[in-house]
Amino acid sequence: MNMKRVIQYLTMAGLVFAGSLFAFAQKGGDVLIKGATVMTAARGTLENADVLVTNGKIAKVGKGISAPAGVRVIDAAGKYVSPGIIDAHSHSMLDAINEGSIAVSSMTNVGDVLDPRDITIYRALAGGVTTALLLHGSANPIGGQSTTVKFKWGHTVEEFPVAGAPPGIKFALGENVKRSNFTPQPGQTPRYPRTRMGTMEVIRDAFLRARDYKRSWDDFKARKTNVPPRRDLELEPLVEILEGKRLVHAHGYRSDEHYNLLLLADEFGFRIATLQHALEAYKIAPEIAKRGTGASIFADSWSYKLEAYDSIPYNGYILWKNGVVVSINSDSDERMRRLNLDAAKMQKYGGVPEEEALKMITLNPAKQLGIDKRTGSIEQGKDGDLVVWSGHPFSPYSRVEITMIEGDVYFDSAKDVTMRAELAKEREALEKLEMNRAPAAGGTPPRLPSERRSADRDEADRGNNR
Amino acid sequence: MKLKLLVSAFAAMSLFSAAAIGQSVAITNARIVTVSGPTIEKGTVVIRDGLIQAVGADVRPPADAQVIDGNGLSVYPGFIDSLSTAGLPTRTPQPGGGGPGGGGGQQAAQQAAAQAQQSNSNYRAGIRPEVSVVDDLRAGDSQFDSIRNAGFTAAVTVGRTGIFNGRSAVINLAGDSVSGMLLKEPYAQHISFATIPGGYPGSLLGTFSALRQMFYDAQQLQEWRKGYAANPKGMRRPPEDKSLEALIPILNREMPVVFNANTEKEIVRALDLAKAFNLKAIIAGGQESWKLTERLKSQNIPVLLSLNFPKRTASASPDADPENLSTLRFRAEVPKTAARLAQAGVKFAFQSGGLTAANDFFTNAAKAVEGGLTKDVAVRAMTLSAAEILDLNDRLGSIEAGKIANLAVVKNDVFASDRFVPYVFVDGKLFEQKEQPRQGGGRGPAAQRGGGNTSSAPATPNVANVAGTYNLSIDAPGQTLTGTLVLRQQGDTISGTMTTQLGVVQIAGGKATAGGFSFSATAEVGGTTMDITFRATVSNNNLNGTIDTPQGPVPVTGTKVP
Amino acid sequence: MKAKVECKKAKRFIDLCSFVFICGALFSVTAQSDGSQQNQTGRAGTFAITNARIFTVSGAVIENGTVVIQEGRIAAVGAGVSIPGGAERIDGKGLSIYPGMIDAGTNLGLAEIGQGANATLDTAEVGSMNANAKAIKAVNPHTSHVNVTRVNGITSVLSRPTGGIVSGQATLINLNGSTQAEMAVEPIAGLIVNFPRITQGGGGFGGGGGFGGGGQQIDFNEAVKRRDTQIDELKKLFRDAVNYGRAVEAYAKDKTLPAVPTNLGLEALIPYVRGEKTIFFTAERDRDIRAVAKFVGEMKIKGIILGGQEAWKSADELKKNNIPVIYTHIYSLPVREDDPYDSLFEAPAKMHQAGIKFAISTGDQGAEVRDLPYQAGIAGAFGLSREEALKSVTLYPAQILGVGDKMGSIEIGKMANVVVTDGDLLDPRTNVKYLFIEGRLLPLTSRHTELFDSFKERKSSEIIP
Repeated sequence: MNMKRVIQYLTMAGLVFAGSLFAFAQKGGDVLIKGATVMTAARGTLENADVLVTNGKIAKVGKGISAPAGVRVIDAAGKYVSPGIIDAHSHSMLDAINEGSIAVSSMTNVGDVLDPRDITIYRALAGGVTTALLLHGSANPIGGQSTTVKFKWGHTVEEFPVAGAPPGIKFALGENVKRSNFTPQPGQTPRYPRTRMGTMEVIRDAFLRARDYKRSWDDFKARKTNVPPRRDLELEPLVEILEGKRLVHAHGYRSDEHYNLLLLADEFGFRIATLQHALEAYKIAPEIAKRGTGASIFADSWSYKLEAYDSIPYNGYILWKNGVVVSINSDSDERMRRLNLDAAKMQKYGGVPEEEALKMITLNPAKQLGIDKRTGSIEQGKDGDLVVWSGHPFSPYSRVEITMIEGDVYFDSAKDVTMRAELAKEREALEKLEMNRAPAAGGTPPRLPSERRSADRDEADRGNNR
Repeated sequence: MKLKLLVSAFAAMSLFSAAAIGQSVAITNARIVTVSGPTIEKGTVVIRDGLIQAVGADVRPPADAQVIDGNGLSVYPGFIDSLSTAGLPTRTPQPGGGGPGGGGGQQAAQQAAAQAQQSNSNYRAGIRPEVSVVDDLRAGDSQFDSIRNAGFTAAVTVGRTGIFNGRSAVINLAGDSVSGMLLKEPYAQHISFATIPGGYPGSLLGTFSALRQMFYDAQQLQEWRKGYAANPKGMRRPPEDKSLEALIPILNREMPVVFNANTEKEIVRALDLAKAFNLKAIIAGGQESWKLTERLKSQNIPVLLSLNFPKRTASASPDADPENLSTLRFRAEVPKTAARLAQAGVKFAFQSGGLTAANDFFTNAAKAVEGGLTKDVAVRAMTLSAAEILDLNDRLGSIEAGKIANLAVVKNDVFASDRFVPYVFVDGKLFEQKEQPRQGGGRGPAAQRGGGNTSSAPATPNVANVAGTYNLSIDAPGQTLTGTLVLRQQGDTISGTMTTQLGVVQIAGGKATAGGFSFSATAEVGGTTMDITFRATVSNNNLNGTIDTPQGPVPVTGTKVP
Repeated sequence: MKAKVECKKAKRFIDLCSFVFICGALFSVTAQSDGSQQNQTGRAGTFAITNARIFTVSGAVIENGTVVIQEGRIAAVGAGVSIPGGAERIDGKGLSIYPGMIDAGTNLGLAEIGQGANATLDTAEVGSMNANAKAIKAVNPHTSHVNVTRVNGITSVLSRPTGGIVSGQATLINLNGSTQAEMAVEPIAGLIVNFPRITQGGGGFGGGGGFGGGGQQIDFNEAVKRRDTQIDELKKLFRDAVNYGRAVEAYAKDKTLPAVPTNLGLEALIPYVRGEKTIFFTAERDRDIRAVAKFVGEMKIKGIILGGQEAWKSADELKKNNIPVIYTHIYSLPVREDDPYDSLFEAPAKMHQAGIKFAISTGDQGAEVRDLPYQAGIAGAFGLSREEALKSVTLYPAQILGVGDKMGSIEIGKMANVVVTDGDLLDPRTNVKYLFIEGRLLPLTSRHTELFDSFKERKSSEIIP
């Protein structure tokens, strides 16, 4: 195999040799996409337009751009180009999702348990997703810290987090945090809280403790005390929230509990960045809008649990009309692959205009995650996070042809097909090796085959499945 | 009390069997692989007082020396298993080299919970760094027979339960007392990214946050103590917290931290943690460390590379799914890791990684050689490189005058399947084993015992029927114990119970042989455990055998109850 | 104020509907819907939709055509048909007419709320052999899922029980009616058998939207044994049913023979084991699908595969035994790490190429059945032609369910399950403009539109300091 083939092969297959091999991708790629319908998600849709990416950044958007020497040209005549899709609620590539032993797990950080080889990354890329907010699960009123990543499949894990993305944290309300679906083991004390009343008290208590904690450090620094306070990893992120340095992404379903949280945030003087799921947010859209809080919702999921019974697909429209920044998320490795069609539904249910609907999976989540300066739309100076579609991304008949992040191609549907034969050959060779052969006699039982791959992961403790 | 009696009796017995002090041994006409210098094709090594007294082509054996003719033999520095559970009473299952992700050891967590000893620590079992292997070690030579006969003379040893496995020790693989066996104690703190369900931390997320919090708390405790020591008046006194205190040496880089991490992602997590807290880190397992050579080098972190190479254990079935390509690749790449580390200049040593047959250590080291490692570097990885990582290279790991006389005298190529180790020296004490007549494929005795990678499935032997109840008489020094042995048999597998004054021992997984049987079991007596191996022949309803105990072998006789 | 809003929304019906009727119903709407919408069973009449593009599905697309609906049936289709006097005319200019879609693999009506409200779940009976359990007896005509689903153009569903090995009997219903009887197209539409196989999580197709797989892990070899035992049990059950039927019949003819005590389970199986009615076998893997085909051949029964992830691989056996496939995995992740990312999107195209008769189904419990058109659309993006994609949710399911002669296309004489849209039926941006089930013009309202109408103009009374 020559070098190019090797790299191609590795990128596609996710087999990564030493990081040094990938040094080529560090600065970002150069590419010119020509002749496409470019949906900028910021400045309208441009027919027969070109997008030039240099050093991973969008250098030019317009007509008749010619390629600098040596820059790859993608002929996209008849095709569509959109910004890379951003999923503001995912649990992909996490080896653990919940720390359910305690009601406040703010000391945990999903960044500690990333698995850059999770195949769901590649499948998400094949659905046009380039960026995701990876969240802790919903087992705790105050959950763990989140991480915003770009799906740089094939790269080492440290290249995934988006540089400069503000830190975040998961909050959760309702059913999961009050452990509705968990029966304590005999002898086990039920975890507080068991009601929505207790949930709010847990959160209030945590912020009061965070205030005290902050004061203890201030006192120490002012030499009012002589023992250095204990550095408290539970309370530190809460202090950051109070200081406006950490984004709160609050899982919840019922409007009343999300409203309670908004009031609590008012009391403590911070802004909730997003209400996650927020299936009833349409009932309190003006209250949400007033506070500049975003809503990250399912396009149309409902009725899958009691809390989701008042969910309506018009939620996005009502929120949008009230001026709330709305994003559409997946919370699912499966659904993540078709967020484009979820955005399309916003046109149907209520009539969100096309570009506004597209923003709900691109620029709006970027805003909610505080990364809109560098990604989320096709504008000069932003990252070359782009998707080339065979047709209009809102048409079910369209498919992703190329997904790129910072000008580097991470998914190419044509190459994916050619790779299959090579992978089959590789498998054949590997299976012949001694270490991969089944024992001649005896041996342990094989693994049971499964017919389903779990996709939805944010159901309290179900996430710790690997 | 009876146990005490027994133990002291054993101890007394072993004292008498101690090697004669002062006499020297000389291995002559041998090929001497010094490792630290050039190999001497024909030379002599002189051993006296537990040390290497002299080595060289021209060295003559002292007049008092017991001379071993080393013609046709190679003398190596005694091999070092740089991570094991040697000397621990219960062989704790180690995280196997299994598939990707096999490094964590969920089992370990459950054991931690099960073994939660009484402790006044503020922390749950599993996150108690003060736990020290030395408290669990047992003295005695025979427990090490199988690994020592393969040429091993020293090992790092530590349990494998919990997130903090606790503090390890480097031990010599022979000795009448734990204190006499120890080469370095404590050696390092050992950490597994395990989970210990049942409280906080209860998930892998919590594992990391709990580790961090404890590190910070230990830092604060240290600061606080300093302040208090300088002027206690007007300052609240710092708590005495033995768990946090145990972390202070690692935060001060006075003690290394060994992270059990096999897969790339686990290693990355370890490297991140090491970086964040400026730890003197070592990666253990490291089977995918070849993917991270740049980072390992830049952070100057060595690898204790597991030789427990993953291989498919699942039987074939048309109803089963094919294995994942990632698994197939992982297994195929692991034997090449050592060569890649060597090429990249990452310091590494070999460890057994939970291999049950010592022989597999060499079989797999040979595979690493096939994978591109030079034999010299492979030998170094089980001698001097290990000593260097353990910071014991001034006394261990090479054949130099003045170093500890830990030696392995090997017949045939050490990487060949017909290797045999007739003589092993530990602290100058000679252990000799007789080569048994070859069987079939010309494998050495170790292979016959160990099975492992190279052994093919033996034909079902013609086994004796040993099932039944026996009245036992155990001839412990100074005391004769009586008891009852009840054996059940299915094919060549036996199970049952052994009841003595000391308690009941459950027997499982024993083997019936042509003329008798053997089993290993753990006797639990008065709150402590003791590993025993029972070997006996049975003929005409008479039982004759030996019980190997940590304190030495004990004769046993018995009669079958009709 | 609220009433005004709703009347505005209802304006599009004014041409067609009695203003009083519609608004009357909407006045009763409250924020927390009580589901009263489901009682609206529309309005019968003679309707003529003119100037529309007609996707007949069974034949060519007709531009500028007219569809006449009369007495619940399609009375005329074509470019130059005469419109009966008294017919209500609907100007279909710019609109498209499609047959209503059919989802052949749901639990709609058997499960209102997936989690946290067990009282609303009636999908799985206790025990493993429940041939006599009948979905039609548990389908709730007033479930909010009915309206939510039909306003997206799905007019009929197969609703089926789950669980065990023999789950019970499915029902084919139209998504309109105040009683099960009014809804039923085929009250007993087939038997559901979860064909025994080796799988993680206790097998079966159960769970739907639930979270299967949590069950006790069993050993592989145990699972193999269990499967083989279960297949034997199933065969024995079927043979017992054959014998039972013979004995019952014999006794009916000759009362001197010993009377046969009634066995509900066996009685229910008789038409199936005799090959008179169809059995739906859930199966996913090639080997299991082949096992079903073998079983169908051996037992001389009529079979359908439900699920069918790898059915395209078993084309030879399926065709030989005349077994169609109801495919339910567009919205599933490829199961194995090494499966191509699009393997489950492509499966319908591969089945088509292999000549397997197939339909696309959501396989959903109910709430998301409304995504059926988009699921078919995705198959259209991955190798299936748009025409075939459309057929896979209209004519093909009708044919597979044995009702191809009365639904699934726009043809004269067929049941007037008709959808009029402003765009491609399978496109999520498309709106359904008119909806007919059995010739009744239905209001395009649902629990969701009610809640929408209740809240879309809401202003806050909150004053933030």
